[in-house]
Amino acid sequence: MNVRRWGERLAVPTAFVLTVAILAVVFYYPVLSVLREAVVRAGSLTAAPLVDVLGDPFYTGVAHHLFTAPLSIPAGVLDWIRAGFPSVEFGLFGFTAFQAFLSTLASVVVGLPGAYLLARFEFRGRRTLRSLTILPFVLPSIMVAVGFLAMFGQNGLLNDILGALGLGQVNLLFTLEIIVLAHAFYNAPLVTRLVTTAWESVDARRVETARALGAGPFRAFRDIVVPQLLPALLTAALLTFVFTFLSFPIVLALGGLRLATVEVWLYARVQDLELAEAATLGTIETVLSLALTYLYLRYEARQTTTGGGTTLPRRALAVGWKTLRDPVRIGLAVYGVGVLVLFVGPLVSMIVESVTGPNGLTGAYYEFLLNQQATTAAGTTKPLPAIANSLAFGVGTLALAVPMGIVVSVMVTRGGTGSRLAETLMSAPLAVSGVVVGLGLLQTLVFGTTIAGYRVTAGGALAIVVAHAVAAYPFVTRNVTPALAGIDSQLVDSARSLGASRFRTLLDVELPLVWTAVLAGGAFAFAISIGEFDTTVLLAEGVESYTMPVALERYIGNRSLGPSLGPATAMGTVLLLVTAASFLVIERLGGRWEP
Amino acid sequence: MDRRQFLRRSSAGVAGLAMLAGCTGAGEGDNGSGANGSGTNGSGNGTTEAGADSTATTGSASSGGTLRVATYSSFTGEDTAGNWLKSAFETEQSGTTVEFLTPENGVNQYVQRAKQGAPIDADIYLGLNTAELVRARKKLDKPLFQSVGEDLDGADGLKKPLRIDPKKRAVPYDTGYISLVYNENEVEEPKTFDSLLESRYEGDLITENAQQSDPGRAFLLWSIIAKGEENYLDYWKQLVGNGVTVLSDWEPAYQAYSDGEAPMVVSYSTDQVYYHGPDVDMAKHQLGFLNDQGYANPETMALFESANNPQLGRTFMEFVLTETAQSKIAVKNVQFPAVKGVTPSKEFDKYAKEPPETVTHSYDELAGSVESWVEEWSRLVASE
Amino acid sequence: MSDAVPERDPTTTDAGVALDNITVEFSGVTALEDVSLSVDEGEFFTLVGPSGCGKTTTLRAVAGFEEPATGEVHIDGGRVTDLAPERRDVGVVFQHYALFPHMTVRENVAYGLRFRDPPGGVADDERVDELLSLVDMAGMGEREPEQLSGGQQQRIALARALAPGPDVLLLDEPLSALDARLRERLRVTIREIQQELGITTIYVTHDQSEALAISDRVAVVSGGRIEQVAPPETVYREPQSRFVAEFVGENNLFDGEVTATAPPRATVDGVEIALPESAAVDTGDSVALCVRPEVLSLGENDTASNATTLTATVEHREFLGDAYRVHCSWNGRSLLVKTDSREPPEGTVTLTVDTDDIHLLSDSGR
Repeated sequence: MNVRRWGERLAVPTAFVLTVAILAVVFYYPVLSVLREAVVRAGSLTAAPLVDVLGDPFYTGVAHHLFTAPLSIPAGVLDWIRAGFPSVEFGLFGFTAFQAFLSTLASVVVGLPGAYLLARFEFRGRRTLRSLTILPFVLPSIMVAVGFLAMFGQNGLLNDILGALGLGQVNLLFTLEIIVLAHAFYNAPLVTRLVTTAWESVDARRVETARALGAGPFRAFRDIVVPQLLPALLTAALLTFVFTFLSFPIVLALGGLRLATVEVWLYARVQDLELAEAATLGTIETVLSLALTYLYLRYEARQTTTGGGTTLPRRALAVGWKTLRDPVRIGLAVYGVGVLVLFVGPLVSMIVESVTGPNGLTGAYYEFLLNQQATTAAGTTKPLPAIANSLAFGVGTLALAVPMGIVVSVMVTRGGTGSRLAETLMSAPLAVSGVVVGLGLLQTLVFGTTIAGYRVTAGGALAIVVAHAVAAYPFVTRNVTPALAGIDSQLVDSARSLGASRFRTLLDVELPLVWTAVLAGGAFAFAISIGEFDTTVLLAEGVESYTMPVALERYIGNRSLGPSLGPATAMGTVLLLVTAASFLVIERLGGRWEP
Repeated sequence: MDRRQFLRRSSAGVAGLAMLAGCTGAGEGDNGSGANGSGTNGSGNGTTEAGADSTATTGSASSGGTLRVATYSSFTGEDTAGNWLKSAFETEQSGTTVEFLTPENGVNQYVQRAKQGAPIDADIYLGLNTAELVRARKKLDKPLFQSVGEDLDGADGLKKPLRIDPKKRAVPYDTGYISLVYNENEVEEPKTFDSLLESRYEGDLITENAQQSDPGRAFLLWSIIAKGEENYLDYWKQLVGNGVTVLSDWEPAYQAYSDGEAPMVVSYSTDQVYYHGPDVDMAKHQLGFLNDQGYANPETMALFESANNPQLGRTFMEFVLTETAQSKIAVKNVQFPAVKGVTPSKEFDKYAKEPPETVTHSYDELAGSVESWVEEWSRLVASE
Repeated sequence: MSDAVPERDPTTTDAGVALDNITVEFSGVTALEDVSLSVDEGEFFTLVGPSGCGKTTTLRAVAGFEEPATGEVHIDGGRVTDLAPERRDVGVVFQHYALFPHMTVRENVAYGLRFRDPPGGVADDERVDELLSLVDMAGMGEREPEQLSGGQQQRIALARALAPGPDVLLLDEPLSALDARLRERLRVTIREIQQELGITTIYVTHDQSEALAISDRVAVVSGGRIEQVAPPETVYREPQSRFVAEFVGENNLFDGEVTATAPPRATVDGVEIALPESAAVDTGDSVALCVRPEVLSLGENDTASNATTLTATVEHREFLGDAYRVHCSWNGRSLLVKTDSREPPEGTVTLTVDTDDIHLLSDSGR
């Protein structure tokens, strides 16, 4: 009894300490081992690398004067005004922020109507559609690039359709527009998912109260619903901005070098082993995205969200012939067409690519998968182990990231001053360049360190799962924290006074009440693990721990069917199907425990 | 000792050749099995001989054991040059195991390991290009690779332009020639670098990012040879002005070309090896050797300074340079042999085209320059 | 309990609940200042006061939800100051019921039984049924909380709080969210159950009439301090402070000066008023006179010597059903009179108060 009581009392603090320890080992230490190069040169502190980068007009455009000749700025501004406000360049950082801003805007514009549709209308397949919104998240960028090429290319499906309709041609590839669209492809579902969850927790009684007080439907929406959606929308927008700010493979694949971002540059610097410059770029990126995260969390903390109550009722989407006369429903239909083009188009195009050879329809690429599976040659990447590994890592990540995320949420919602700062630091895995994390893991865990004469390295399945969990748990935290904060404290007090420890209260009362949020976070965690590539290849010991994205990547280099992306697209299709099935299962199973 | 080793090597060499015959002759049942049989006999003899003489046992210990070969992942796996090398070499050197390591970040993995004092878990690196050799040397205080010296068997037969390393660390085992692949239905063949600047080729060329793509970097280096170190940036400024697209790597670039995004792409002169036959529109697979040149991008192998078993490593490298291995690698890797006078296969000969003139940079020409060339180029493209 | 460690430190007091010099601060603001209380075993003790006075904080300090900056909390003679809420054996009922929405009624009531050692097994089921009957909700076990009315939910909350057999029952404004009639019915139920179980109970309310109706003793709380602790009748009839006099029931307060001591008299705005014989005052003292509206009689000219008569004007009358509230003005002040007369007079009236019905506040300065 005593042991159990102590166990329960220590459960949350212990789990928190473990979480911090895990973060320290597989995140903070590796990342700082890279970033320290930005401020340490030959063993002593220096600002030189930072000044070099910030003072380089290639990186910061006109802002480089701030770091090279701050005194010249007033005169410079005057000259600029006299010259009639000519356009100003802000360098690589400026362009990166600009495209991230556009991408965020596009993601919100594309994602919001989806949330409206999913939260406010009832139609066949709604739950399935909701489950599938996570799919884009797991797709390797190379597959998205293939799909986009086949969909939006000069001879792509879109132009075929436009041509057939007599609407002319669009040329989108290798433009900023296509990058923004691809970023929306990845991130609009994030907006949709987060906002839908928030919308579903709007208390219908409050809207009814507002209506009873004389507010029209629009006013009630603006005054009651919008404030409750805003935190979720801003979370999604913030995450989108940070992700697209740090975006790299999609920019490289669809935009080319002319539209390079900071992260593209950072990657090239790492390839050249110019690690100090890479670290400097990574440090600036990290400072910017963490600062944004901190500002956001400060804002979020001031929002009061209270869950519970009655959910707003859903309306039927199709209402017979009247459907065609309702402007809202017509608008949604137009939106549906847009979704088909942006989301279904590239995915279907990729699937079509997987059955299309140079000479028309072919099953060769799937046959290739079967042959890979059947072969006994060493070093062959087989599809079934890839699927099994992906799912195993996914489940492992789920099992680790969900408790980690919850524990951090609990500590953050309980904590007082400084808890925002703590949460910001704990959210850092979202806000640090993937290239930097990869490099850090390589330098520390893979290469190992010498402790008491022994070389200690970490790798293998467990290390992969832990690393995935570190990347994934902030999604759990971001989902769960606002929900936990919204729980009526009297429920917690009641349970405590009835004899439940803090830990039992969490298990028996709080978690069941925020289950939807836990599930939503868990789905992201699983998705992150399934789609993860960089860390997986780094930490894989031997050639056996490959996952679906790794297999896909290796098939790209496989020339046994000629230089064709066919095998990779076939594997991409398998990845798509396995993931889709997993999410349907996760959400159905998880939904059962929903209160 | 020397004589005995030579004997061993030649007897095993016979076995290797016999194995090869067995492979090539698949289909002619009798021949194949006979050849296999003799192969087994051959290695049996070798063992007996070694067992009879204790000095020989000590001597052969250096060739037994495990050889760890680091390479890129597509070099290994089902039906690849890597797997052929492994089984052929293991058959030739009985008791030897070849183990492949495929670090995702290639040779950088070992440069970084050396820099941090972490152990280097490989004996040979296979798949090194000249610029990487430059980088490996420049980033480290001590050399990462050792010289194999003058007496590596088979090294005499290497094609001259491919001998890029005067210090004899990197030994080429095959090469690709960078050229344009174009669609003659849509564009006329561009003959020279200058012609690419003409307005009729506006927006027609796709190339790859020299920061991380081999053909991309090769094309940039080629343009430096063609236009000179002083003028290449100016040339590229105009090329960018003429709408060149710079994609991340060869795969997306070639995919974009195949999808008809542009009628020209920087690729390899082995293109038609993949694309020929009655169903293929050969117009889409025309090769453009600008200035009648092609830039050689040799793939080399090198022995780590810290190799556990340098002797076995050398034996392996010599094996890679044998005629059989050269033609096998060429066919399976779809690259040209590095050794003169090797004819990989009829089909390969027919469809793999060598440029009229081969150009490339040697180690000494790249050392000290390649990084700034690439950096200035990438800054130019990204800020245009 | 199999614990080797005693649950509570033994102390000298044998009170059901004792607070010794409790101070509670919220980020620098003092919510409770040096509060001491002693609730007898089995007593129904009510904390009453306006919102924000600290009564709920006091309750939460007993439950263990607030950590006092200084002072000690004892339950059943044992020190619990450092114990977590789940180890204090208290049952708490909140204003908004706080039923667990994801559990059935039965699961809610049974929740606290999970933590008993050893587990009760079948006995737990019987215990739940017993409690559901106790709160008159037998047969409702399988309902979801949201299917119940507010009154029903509060009964379940009470059953849930009582199920583990706590030493102390804490009720925090349990009836405030209910309508008036239900409130009155349920408070009788609560009182009956408390009597039946003999459980030490602390009840928090802002409704002074509820406090008077239900309690053995009442503590009036204001500004983080206890103003008075006494049985309801005493609090009503003999308030110790101006605050208590005005907060509990209605009162007419007059400030006066003592002019004589045998018999004691005082002047209020120049009018002589006789004070109770027992008043211990000296000539020249400032005093506050409390005159409840119901002790002022209207229109009758009582000539008895120990009565004071005032002449006032009726301004306004309120009909309450069983009585009238009559607002008068006297000497430029308003006076409230309550009468059960069927037809109270209008215009100029005579108000009479029996000297013994006047209560003096011991310290008029408060």
